[in-house]
Amino acid sequence: MKTRAEAERLAIDTGILVNLGFYVSISIIFAILALGFNLQWGYTGLFNAGIAGFFLIGAYTAAIAITPPTPPSTGYPGHLGGFQLPLAVGALLAMAMSGLAAALVALPTVRLRADYLAIATLAFAEVVRTVALNLEPVTAGTIGIVGIPHILTFSGPDAAFLNAATDVGVGAAILAGLFLGLHFILESPWGRVLRAVREDEEATMAVGKNTFRYKLQVFAIGGALMGLAGWLFALTLLYIEPSGSFAPAITFSVWVMVIVGGAGNLRGAIAGAFVIYGLEWLSVQLKDVAPDFLKDSIPYIRLMIVGALLIILIIYRPQGILREKKRVLR
Amino acid sequence: MEHREILRVGRVRKAFGGISAVDDCSLSVSPQSVTGLIGPNGAGKSTLFNLVAGLYQPDEGEIWFNETRIDGRPPFEIVHLGLTKTWQIPHELRNMTVLENLVLAAKHNAGEHLLNLFVRPGQVRRDEKMWRARAREILKLTQLDALANEHAKGLSGGQKKLLELARALMTDPTLVLLDEPVAGVNPTLAANLMDLIEKLRQGGRTFFLIEHDMNVVMNRCDRVIVMHQGRTIADGTPASVKANPLVIDSYLGG
Amino acid sequence: MAIPSESDSSTGTRVPHRLWELLHFTPRARRKLVRGALVTIIFLAFNGLLAVLFGVTILNYTIAGLSVSSIVIVAAIGLTLVYGMRGFANFAYGDIMSLGAYVALLVNINGLSLIWGAILSFAVLALVGILLEVIVFSRLEGRGAVPPIVASVGVGLIIQNGIRTIATTTPWIYRVEAIQEIPIVPGLGVHPIRHILTPAVGLLFVLVTHILLTYTNLGKAMRATADNFELAKATGIDTKRVTYATWALSCSFASTAGILLGLYGLLKPTMGFEVLLLIFAAVIVGGIGSPWGAVLGGLVIGLSQEMSAPVFAWLARPDVIGLVNASAYKVAIPFIVMIAVLILRPWGIAGRAPAFTGRVFFIEKIAKALGRRPKPTGPLEDESGG
Repeated sequence: MKTRAEAERLAIDTGILVNLGFYVSISIIFAILALGFNLQWGYTGLFNAGIAGFFLIGAYTAAIAITPPTPPSTGYPGHLGGFQLPLAVGALLAMAMSGLAAALVALPTVRLRADYLAIATLAFAEVVRTVALNLEPVTAGTIGIVGIPHILTFSGPDAAFLNAATDVGVGAAILAGLFLGLHFILESPWGRVLRAVREDEEATMAVGKNTFRYKLQVFAIGGALMGLAGWLFALTLLYIEPSGSFAPAITFSVWVMVIVGGAGNLRGAIAGAFVIYGLEWLSVQLKDVAPDFLKDSIPYIRLMIVGALLIILIIYRPQGILREKKRVLR
Repeated sequence: MEHREILRVGRVRKAFGGISAVDDCSLSVSPQSVTGLIGPNGAGKSTLFNLVAGLYQPDEGEIWFNETRIDGRPPFEIVHLGLTKTWQIPHELRNMTVLENLVLAAKHNAGEHLLNLFVRPGQVRRDEKMWRARAREILKLTQLDALANEHAKGLSGGQKKLLELARALMTDPTLVLLDEPVAGVNPTLAANLMDLIEKLRQGGRTFFLIEHDMNVVMNRCDRVIVMHQGRTIADGTPASVKANPLVIDSYLGG
Repeated sequence: MAIPSESDSSTGTRVPHRLWELLHFTPRARRKLVRGALVTIIFLAFNGLLAVLFGVTILNYTIAGLSVSSIVIVAAIGLTLVYGMRGFANFAYGDIMSLGAYVALLVNINGLSLIWGAILSFAVLALVGILLEVIVFSRLEGRGAVPPIVASVGVGLIIQNGIRTIATTTPWIYRVEAIQEIPIVPGLGVHPIRHILTPAVGLLFVLVTHILLTYTNLGKAMRATADNFELAKATGIDTKRVTYATWALSCSFASTAGILLGLYGLLKPTMGFEVLLLIFAAVIVGGIGSPWGAVLGGLVIGLSQEMSAPVFAWLARPDVIGLVNASAYKVAIPFIVMIAVLILRPWGIAGRAPAFTGRVFFIEKIAKALGRRPKPTGPLEDESGG
């Protein structure tokens, strides 16, 4: 039988593990976002400034599909939902909605210059966020959707640990699958056309490729990946709200992650996600040990560091810290 | 309507912001010929090529290729019909190898369609293998085979021109529009290139080329068309064009 | 009242030497004036009609629209100057506006009048603009459209969070005398700051910009540089100085717009970023690089946003569709306008259709289906970023 000291020890350790598990889970979610953005920008040159918007659509679609009916309570406006669909269906719906949204956004915008595309996609993300904040009957407004179920339900004293472990396990499996899948399609002739489009779109058109179709496909796939990240996010956090989690700062963070890791580099995007989110997670941990006058400013200082990183990296090392593999076709 | 011309440009007009680049231009190209297009700078030659290739859309007029109307069609459709254009300033894909540059140009590569990667992987592999082999053949033809695995950005100017031609050949074109194929290329290489073009012409292809090098034009072209200020002013054998007073005027007067 | 006449032969324009010459317009300017007058008359008539149909209170929305437009116009002129010259969208512009507002606040809460705050802010932000160019953006010349955007996002993050660290996220307000609305007719009131001061400042800035760009040497140099950088350099214009001047002007205008925005409501760290997209929309609708386009774009954006509010209010009525939080949706209207412009006429009202346009097949297909011959559209996709 465990002694009381040992039991307390175990509780603390699992607490730390749960915390670490949270770090890994969220990093994985960001990694999926980064992979999606990398596909759009790193490989094809489409600079998407509306990542948060596709992320939001995926998360809300998943939440609406998966959540059991919410019992009426005062102060909670309620939301569309109660379908209680299986998780996998929720994932597919999330990817489909985000992918569709991406395709629709792409239709008028992928032919535009990079800055127009950035502005248009940023506007899209903000409109989506405004709708989520205000369309209360569907999204429960500013409060957001709560009561999203765990991936697997556990009970008992180790429930928190087991939940965290499941989240990490599922996330890691999905990430591994995505990595392999993306690697496969990017090393293919299809991927070669993407690289050609990024390099010189006119020349690629003149060689007989319908570049518009490729750009559309890429944008839609990237959007679907961001939707999948949204699904995972909903399942990890168990609630979603529109103001903080889907703000433009999320889009900018993903940019940093991909730039750090090197545009056009799958492994780099994943590494970048872990590193940059690691900064955020660390700053939250530091909050407990920081002196009072600094405490509230820590998240802001972190964002200032992110800003400085963006500037320094884009000026001095835009190819990232990890390099794109040199390709030789034999 | 004649049925013997492979390319027919009918009264095509194109203006950019009030400046007329091509103005009521009409011409035709005979199949299996090497036809030259000359004229002073600003005559609208490159613009015409861009119009034929589908990169621009004419404001007025018609363009017919092999009895199919092609004005208004996007470039990739036109390439699939058998008409390919090369660039005056080579648009090589710098960070891809020479071989990749070529394989990209293959017209029907199963692996370029996303779904095929998953449902027809065997076909994807076979196509890719076939096209790589074909690319190597063409590289041998254009004497670039030693550079197959070099990144295109490392090529010299003349080699980039050869790459342009090789890539065009990869699309198996019936008609090739060459925009200054030997400009800036050393005379030996230029001669080799023109020999190659002659050989390919005998194999059934047609070449329509813009050139300023009068040597090439006079000695290698069956027919020469002259443009000036956006329209055709002369059309005939190299000798007749050389003696044409209108042509002489346009070059001197500018 | 004779101003000594000088022939500025190098650029071929003459400094007006009699007052009446200031009123001399070229045929092109005359055409534009006529068009503008026509639009104004139609606009006034439209509002008159609305007042007759729905009562005078509806004009409150128009007045609000003009007020918002004024703020957007000042900001958009500043944004479009740098956008036209450097070719990139400054995503930090909203935060620069916030910075201007907060600098003025710093002066204001220490007892001085806001006017002094505005003047100091104008000067400080001019310096900030020059610093940004020197430290960050000069190093990104020639790298395409995406790197400066990324860098500007970084700058914005630093500014916004710097404000959060120093001033906290608690909203502030300017210390100005509380002024009441002045009623014109029952139901129609005019707020002296929002509806009189703000448009007046807007008008002033528009006029100053026009005079600067048309009649001063700096202005002409700025226009020449924005038009063709290499050519301007070749003709001896000190493009470095012009660049600094443009940045300084851009950020100073941002500061004024920020202060006006602060007068409109509260000061929060996100106040500028919240309107960033509105400013972009105005610049795009008006035509990148054109200050007059910024004016037109600002008017379109401000008026479309505010004048859509009554429509949403109507939608909120339970007997229509009972839309919840209806007033929040009016912010979506400018974006819809912007997207429509991006699809149909990406170079905006006052921009020029690019000389070598790319093909837009899906638009052409739609146009063909509608039976019309499609016009050349779309800025050509250049180097795809990064």
